Amino acid sequence: MWTLSLGFLQLGGLLGGGSSPVDLIVYILLTVVSFAVVFMYGQRIQAYSALRDVRINLEKLQGLKDRSRKEAIDYMTTNMKAPKDVQQRVDQVLEYFTIMPVDMDPSGIVGKIEHVTNQQDDRIRAELKSIAPQADPVQLSVEQNILEVATSLNLLFKIVRHFYIQGQKTKSIYIIVQLQMILPMVIQEADALTSAIEAFKLAQPIGDGLGPIVAGKLMVGKEKTTIERETVYAKNEYKGRSIIALKAEGPMGTVGRPHIGVEKILNDQTNKISTIIMVDAALKLEGESTGEVAEGVGAAIGGIGTEKFRIEAAATQKDIPMYAIVVKQSLIDAISVMRKEIAEATDKVVERIHRLIEEKTKEGDTILLVGVGNTLGVSQ
Amino acid sequence: MAQMFPSIGEKRPKMPVFTIEECPSCGTKTKRAFKFGDYVYKEGGECAKCHAKTLITMVYAELIQVK
Repeated sequence: MWTLSLGFLQLGGLLGGGSSPVDLIVYILLTVVSFAVVFMYGQRIQAYSALRDVRINLEKLQGLKDRSRKEAIDYMTTNMKAPKDVQQRVDQVLEYFTIMPVDMDPSGIVGKIEHVTNQQDDRIRAELKSIAPQADPVQLSVEQNILEVATSLNLLFKIVRHFYIQGQKTKSIYIIVQLQMILPMVIQEADALTSAIEAFKLAQPIGDGLGPIVAGKLMVGKEKTTIERETVYAKNEYKGRSIIALKAEGPMGTVGRPHIGVEKILNDQTNKISTIIMVDAALKLEGESTGEVAEGVGAAIGGIGTEKFRIEAAATQKDIPMYAIVVKQSLIDAISVMRKEIAEATDKVVERIHRLIEEKTKEGDTILLVGVGNTLGVSQ
Repeated sequence: MAQMFPSIGEKRPKMPVFTIEECPSCGTKTKRAFKFGDYVYKEGGECAKCHAKTLITMVYAELIQVK
């Protein structure tokens, strides 16, 4: 206690206040009050500071959401010749929701999820077709992609706003700080989504289109057959082996239904598939290089899992090995116009495919090559 | 765990987009600025060397380093 008092006396001297008992009392009072404020209101002060930070990011998110909505409307009115009063219809589409099936009894859940997601896809397509009946399939797919971005941003904004308001009401530091912690990643993702719009509008290939580019390379000049909605295949040959290359039908911005295509090709007894090779874009981890090619086994396909499930089931039933070749890229690269590093990886992927075929198959075998991804700006 | 948090990537600067046209007969590659309507595996223009029809083999964005 004596040391503390001496310390205060010295501090008082430093501040030019002298060392009278009144000064000492003032300093002790100030110290006590500041300790009391920190103890009693510390969390609240921190909450206000975090709320301010969240509000700034929320405003940024709102800006991105509004921009994507405007882009969707502009594309419809200028490119698809939709009527000028299309805003209300677009706003309705942005609010569409999908109720996922109940999973308490998981038996048959994959079929149910697929049924609901197909229905959601059909509904948006039908809506766009009714708004702009004269639009061509590429324009419809581009608008669908832009709307997907706008819907995601709308949802992100609403969720962040929900927790922001809840934090404001409750002044709960736990709600606000959790939101503040994840916001940098949310904003990064929102930025990535917004940057994708430019590529969509110009129908340029995106990073995710790597799989379709590789499959398309083997399909150029060959006869194409539609096997499922927006999904095509063509036959080719390599060193005495037959290759069936399958991809979504380009240059529309669609991923097609490769899982149904794989099922149909495997179930066709005349094909006698001995090996499946799947090529896809894969999200990289920090530190990995963009355009890095990696090889593995299994079904290389993203999404909610229904496609993967059906491909795995079909391959398992027929005991067909599945090989995967992926090209690493960040989320922003996967949904923005394809970077040179990714484009240059296509030749490396083709080399790996050839090596795999030579090592794992023999002459007379038939290989199914699936190019997975959004085929915007990539034909076949 | 890491799969749940993949790299989102850096915000990209505006990059010019190029179209690569390849001649299937003589193999000549031409790089030009992207034009609206270009897409991969679309029939391109005439080859400057052998006058055969070219094929668009790639469309990509490239970061141009300013020296």
